[in-house]
Amino acid sequence: MTIHRVIRKVQRFQGWFGGGAALCLMVGLYLGLIGSPPDYYQGEVVRIMYIHVPLAHTSLLGYTVLALGSLWYLWKRDPIVDNMCQAVAALTAVFTALALGTGMIWGKPTWDTWWTWDARLTSFTVLLLILIGYLMLRTFVDDPEKEARYGAILAIVGFVDLPIIHFSVEWWRTLHQPQSISMRGVSISSGLLVPLLFMSVGMSLLFSYMLMVRTQLLYLDRLLHAKKGRLLSQFHLSKSDS
Amino acid sequence: MTSFNVIRWIVWKDFVTELRSRETISSMVFFALIVILIFSFSFSMDQQAAREVIAGIMWVAFAFTGIIGLGKSFSTELQNDCLEALQMVPEAKGAIYLGKVAANFAFMFVVEILLFPMFVILFNLEVVEEISLLLLIFLLATVGLSAIGTLFSALTVQIRAREVMLPILLLPLVVPVMIAAVEATKGALNGDPLALYGQWLELLAVYDVVFTVVSFWMFELVMDS
Amino acid sequence: MIACHAIGKSYGHFQVLHDVNLSIAEGECFALFGPNGAGKTTLLNILATLQRPSTGYYEILGMHGLKDKDTIRANLVFLAHGTHLYDELNAKENLAFALALRGHRPTDRDVKQVLDRVAIGAFADMKIRHFSAGMKKRLALAKAMLAKPNVLLLDEPFTALDTAGTEILRAYVRERLSENGTVLLSTHDHDKTRPIASRAGILRQGTLQEVAVEGLKSDDLV
Repeated sequence: MTIHRVIRKVQRFQGWFGGGAALCLMVGLYLGLIGSPPDYYQGEVVRIMYIHVPLAHTSLLGYTVLALGSLWYLWKRDPIVDNMCQAVAALTAVFTALALGTGMIWGKPTWDTWWTWDARLTSFTVLLLILIGYLMLRTFVDDPEKEARYGAILAIVGFVDLPIIHFSVEWWRTLHQPQSISMRGVSISSGLLVPLLFMSVGMSLLFSYMLMVRTQLLYLDRLLHAKKGRLLSQFHLSKSDS
Repeated sequence: MTSFNVIRWIVWKDFVTELRSRETISSMVFFALIVILIFSFSFSMDQQAAREVIAGIMWVAFAFTGIIGLGKSFSTELQNDCLEALQMVPEAKGAIYLGKVAANFAFMFVVEILLFPMFVILFNLEVVEEISLLLLIFLLATVGLSAIGTLFSALTVQIRAREVMLPILLLPLVVPVMIAAVEATKGALNGDPLALYGQWLELLAVYDVVFTVVSFWMFELVMDS
Repeated sequence: MIACHAIGKSYGHFQVLHDVNLSIAEGECFALFGPNGAGKTTLLNILATLQRPSTGYYEILGMHGLKDKDTIRANLVFLAHGTHLYDELNAKENLAFALALRGHRPTDRDVKQVLDRVAIGAFADMKIRHFSAGMKKRLALAKAMLAKPNVLLLDEPFTALDTAGTEILRAYVRERLSENGTVLLSTHDHDKTRPIASRAGILRQGTLQEVAVEGLKSDDLV
């Protein structure tokens, strides 16, 4: 068995992603934590935005990649694409959970509550539930081919559903809560925009780098399992012949 | 023409099985009654409070009973491995899906119609004027639940821990249906003008169309490697 | 005609089938022996278009098994472990339903004829729930008879069948062979299989080895 040609290609330039991520995140963190002024209304608290917003962006990016990868898998049925989907789902789940967590931490001083049924927080919670469902589903299927196919179906249906979920939650919120508590209270001035941009790019690069490494790991793991199966059955066969 | 025949035969088979075994609808109705009972114990409600929460209770009961019916829809196909026979049907996977959706919709809708009078009596509702609107809300929401629910019933029936996985996968995906159905039902029960909650009916209609199409397309991939 | 080209199937690190190469011509009946867990059912499931092989591909009636599945399905009947019958329907209704899904509409006369042929004509209006395992097997066989397939896959067909039932099944297999059908069956029962099998093979640890039908003793099968 040979290493997949995609992996050999990726291995050649994945270091650039890792290095780029480290550089962007370092510059972004410096600008965000030290090099930028505190917010007029929120004070120092606003700095958590430099982590929270990039995490949220990257989660949405990750889910988009998951949906596209799932479509690609259903079309080509290449197992390495499924390895990529599995890796991207786990990473997106972690990023979504972190985005929710930082959102809650940000919410405590600004809105004086850990949790509010804000449209974005609610949509992200549903997104996290879908991703956990996806990861659970995969562990409950015996046949790897079926596991990949069912995962892809759930990912695509969920992707179509996400805008509808967001839309319905937002409508529901405007009916039941005064507008005052809203993420949109933060107006972004250009002083905040530069570090935010660095952090967003850095977070996406970090996500891509981890995705590449994780995909390779899952792929090599599968190769190893197949090899092990082959050796085991040859061993049993030679034993039953003698 | 064959496809239409397949739809008819699937619906016929599910109806005849249900008429003879009386398993699905009776278990759904009794489960729903228990849910209603538990809810009325957990909130001690006066007339005013009931108006606020009744729509929510109603749709929680409908969704949970719906999941029971949806789960049974394909778990009965495991008897004698009938699911394999459905998977080996040449070409008509979409027709099987539509037949199953029609049967599931019918079961859920019948149960909702049977339960609704219970809500009216137990919670002293006045619904004479809004009855046709309420029926329309039930219809739209139930189409959405059965369209996506049938797909996930077929998917979860082929994996381990299927009884748990159907609600875990399905409920987050039907959040829009639940929100829209509850809001619209609340509006209708309060006698609000339709303009105040008509948007929810539109949302339900959009959801129905989108997920009937998506599930119809995905069903073939669930049934067929 | 059935042709397997290096079919492999694995569940994670558990390799069920190993480069299975097999070619069965028209008018041939191939008997597949092997201990439990050797992969017989998996191979039949793959050929019945129920599972996708992990490696390799197969052809049935000259059609690619991963691309022309629908054409293959229309010409193939798989009698599996499960009988594919609905407990709440009676014998006639089960036949009508199964055939309707294949796009056929058998006449009452045909239905009566096959039910008599498998000797359960007297129970045509009885719910399957009250059938014995052998009667269900016979009804499943009647379903296959109505479908008139070119390719017949049988998974342990003799289980639950009595002597008369076995004879009915063998007569049907001979009839399909005489009409240039292809039959692949998995079994443990050498004595019952010998009269109809034209070729045989043993599947061990997912590897297929062809053997002569006549030289096969029951000891070889373990």
